[in-house]
Amino acid sequence: MRTSGGFRLGLMLLLSPMLLWLLLLIILPHINMGIISLSERVSSNNYVFSLNNYEEFFAESLYWNTFLRTALMSILATILTLLIAFPVSYYIAKMLKGRSKGLVFALCLIPFWVSELVRTYGWMILLRESGVFSNFLQWLGLADGPVEFLYNDIAIMVGLVYTSMLFMVVPLVTTLDSLDNSYIEAGYDLGGNGFTVMREIVIPHATPGIVSGCIVVFMLTLGNYLTPALLGGKDSLWFTEQIFTQFITRFNWEQGSAFGILLLVLSSLIVWLGLKVTRQSFTRVMS
Amino acid sequence: MTTSSPIDLIDLECRQIRKTFDRYFTAVDDVSFSIPRGSFFSILGPSGCGKTTLLRMLAGFEQPTSGEIFIKGKSVTRTPPNKRPVNMVFQHLALFPTMTVAENIAYGLRRRRVGKSEIADRVKSVLKRVGLPDSGYKKIDQLSGGQKQRIAIARCLVLNPDVLLLDEPLGALDLKLREHMKVELKQLQEEFGTTFVYITHDQSEALVMSDQVAVMNNGVFEQQGAPRDLYYQPQTAFVAGFVGESNRWLGKVTSTNHAGIELMTDSGLKLSGQFGAEQSLVVGDRVEVFVRPEAISLSRGGGDSKGQNRLRCDVGNVLFDGAKSQVLVVDPVTDGEITVSLPQTADFASLIRGEPLALAWTAEQTRCFRAEG
Amino acid sequence: MIPSIPQSRRFRITYNAYVVLFFLYLAAPLVVVGTFAFNDSLFPSLPWNGGTLDWFLGEQGPKLGLFHDEELLESVGISLVVATFTTVLALALACCNAFLFERESFPGKNLLYILMLMPLVIPGVILGVSILVFSSSIANWFELQLGWDLEFLLPGTTLVIIGQFAFISTICTLIVSARLRKFDQSLEEAALNLGASKLEAIYTVTLPYLKPALIGAGIVSFLMSFENFNTTLMLVGSDAPLTIAMFDRLREGATPVLNAVSLMLMLVSSVLAIISLIVQGSKR
Repeated sequence: MRTSGGFRLGLMLLLSPMLLWLLLLIILPHINMGIISLSERVSSNNYVFSLNNYEEFFAESLYWNTFLRTALMSILATILTLLIAFPVSYYIAKMLKGRSKGLVFALCLIPFWVSELVRTYGWMILLRESGVFSNFLQWLGLADGPVEFLYNDIAIMVGLVYTSMLFMVVPLVTTLDSLDNSYIEAGYDLGGNGFTVMREIVIPHATPGIVSGCIVVFMLTLGNYLTPALLGGKDSLWFTEQIFTQFITRFNWEQGSAFGILLLVLSSLIVWLGLKVTRQSFTRVMS
Repeated sequence: MTTSSPIDLIDLECRQIRKTFDRYFTAVDDVSFSIPRGSFFSILGPSGCGKTTLLRMLAGFEQPTSGEIFIKGKSVTRTPPNKRPVNMVFQHLALFPTMTVAENIAYGLRRRRVGKSEIADRVKSVLKRVGLPDSGYKKIDQLSGGQKQRIAIARCLVLNPDVLLLDEPLGALDLKLREHMKVELKQLQEEFGTTFVYITHDQSEALVMSDQVAVMNNGVFEQQGAPRDLYYQPQTAFVAGFVGESNRWLGKVTSTNHAGIELMTDSGLKLSGQFGAEQSLVVGDRVEVFVRPEAISLSRGGGDSKGQNRLRCDVGNVLFDGAKSQVLVVDPVTDGEITVSLPQTADFASLIRGEPLALAWTAEQTRCFRAEG
Repeated sequence: MIPSIPQSRRFRITYNAYVVLFFLYLAAPLVVVGTFAFNDSLFPSLPWNGGTLDWFLGEQGPKLGLFHDEELLESVGISLVVATFTTVLALALACCNAFLFERESFPGKNLLYILMLMPLVIPGVILGVSILVFSSSIANWFELQLGWDLEFLLPGTTLVIIGQFAFISTICTLIVSARLRKFDQSLEEAALNLGASKLEAIYTVTLPYLKPALIGAGIVSFLMSFENFNTTLMLVGSDAPLTIAMFDRLREGATPVLNAVSLMLMLVSSVLAIISLIVQGSKR
């Protein structure tokens, strides 16, 4: 019913905005960033090819220490988020029914409609020296004077886990909800116990949700700037801060681009590894 | 002049319609037919026989590879779907969920830029005619299955199409409602007088409702005729097997005479039968043999049944289904099973397993067709 | 471990307690932010000095309230402009993309789909700097070669909109595509069959069907844009949107006016969240 000419025209009309967006805003900027990371400024408007920016990264221990630290902390935050979120997701998906399920799930999502900045600000009020926890401990008599909970790794971790929670709970609840109760009942009926049913029925079924949650949480944590900067203070040593410093403070775009590429490579690598290990496909996990 | 030329009485005509996909798969193969005005025409066939493709070509959603389609004598082969004087009731009805019943029915009229007040009148009148006068304000999901059905038909009929196409619309209904809707569809068709082209894989739907049925298989029409003819005079082995229930054997012709043939089935039964169509069979030909369960007469304890074919069998299973009850009998010589309709007389109320029965049927009711390959 | 399988009492109690604790963890920061908006003190911390509405209505320093704080109000205005543009652009692209991926087939479609998802796995900071560097390169080139001064390519509101549009489009595309995938194409055929042209069919049947997804995607993209920090930080010029303005204040030392802003944000977000939930719920 369509002529082939009309078909092509329609396809082109739909394809061109997509291609423009992809090329101009995603692909070319990243290629450009890669090229700049491989150049060195000799004099104004005169650049030469060089690996200098990457050598600098490995030569300066502060840089690669920060890099490693960011990666490890992000992995830890991802694991913690999964461990905390799984029982709650399971509770929502399997223990609750009908209206209460919808309500509790919505309750779980509402904090994340609020800006990350506001949530982090909340943690600052709770954790700071003059904050709620410190006063609470003094009131209980467990502390003699004000206690500073802010500006350490634990504070960063609390904030990161909090901020990421939504992106773990939603895919987990969705996949767990799609598991029919009769499978769990069959597991028990055939002689399984809580542990074996969990290991052999529930977790294999939830794997796509777990992987997609972990990937998104890891990505967001690795690329987070706000939470480490506010809760970790001056010594938070988060890699995105290095990028920010190079670009905005020092105006050293070549070095900053190299850092950006390194972070991108790291995140792609870990996402790829995660998919390989769990044998999931990227498109399936993401949609 | 009271008689008009035949072309005026034909609403829809197809001439050698062919549709091939990807060059090598032929979905519809040189199909030609014409449908007289105001009739209920069914295309009956198993899934994948090409009937949906054929219907979609009539609606304009597929372009025939070759051949011509005429509606009221005018070729519509190149007419896009939105300009054709045909409307279609979709398999899942395709009622627009975002609109009310009245808006659904008014949709086609609005596309034709009909005035508001006229739309309101026509919607009201068609709703009345399909028996749902007060449903205009309702949302689609507030309707029952049968009501949706009627609205889908009303949505098409309000446009006074030359031909209404129906794509197995009863498939999604449960059994009881389906039986009811069969009757209702037939009544609606008679009331509106519109030509209906109905496709289905359910032979009972086709037989009950239609004036004419075409049995379709592998992209061709095997046979076209009144329901009665299809049932009693199948022209091909496929029609004999597909329409109605049959006992089926494969065998070989052992002798022929002017009245019919003698044959031996592969399982070892000797039967006398008749050619199914105007084909000639010679000794040694492979044949497919069909005998309807209701064509076989039963007698208990060796009575006097008529027919050239006689068998002594034992009762196997009695399949009780009210008026449609059947008995499976076992032929002790070949160990083969034969299905026989159970007469609704007191004589056969107490059959027991293993009891001997005499079976008999005539050669005319033993339809033989040349077997493929 | 489902209600139909009996569990020990102790397990049940522990499990329930855990879930309650989890919700306390979720609620704690939001509750304190909201509460301290009403504290009659110059700092958002204990002790509690009694309630006040000064942080909303106060007319002069040191307790300059939200509704008289020109700087904050201006940043809210900038955020609104950015969010509106981003949402409109992202929705338009999302519709195109949804039809492209759900309806058309063309070579390289799978690869293109994966590329379309990429913004989800690129950290926001990096997306921001890459667009910053690229647009500056273009601006530089135009200035050197043609002597044109393309100001919109330098850090500023336009660039912030472009940067947010880059990744919010992907999210909108996913939402709209998911809805379009559920659309029964025979509805469009039915419209054609009833005399509609192809465009009429899409406008009268397909778009109304997509409406809940479009509203939902619109709300999500508006909020994501309004609340975005990472990408915005890299692209912002002299006109700071709300999140950036708040971040700067936080570093200088916050006053409860930030709590007041936060509370307003929470209220607006909740209203939008509820609208979105109702829209999602009504589509069934």
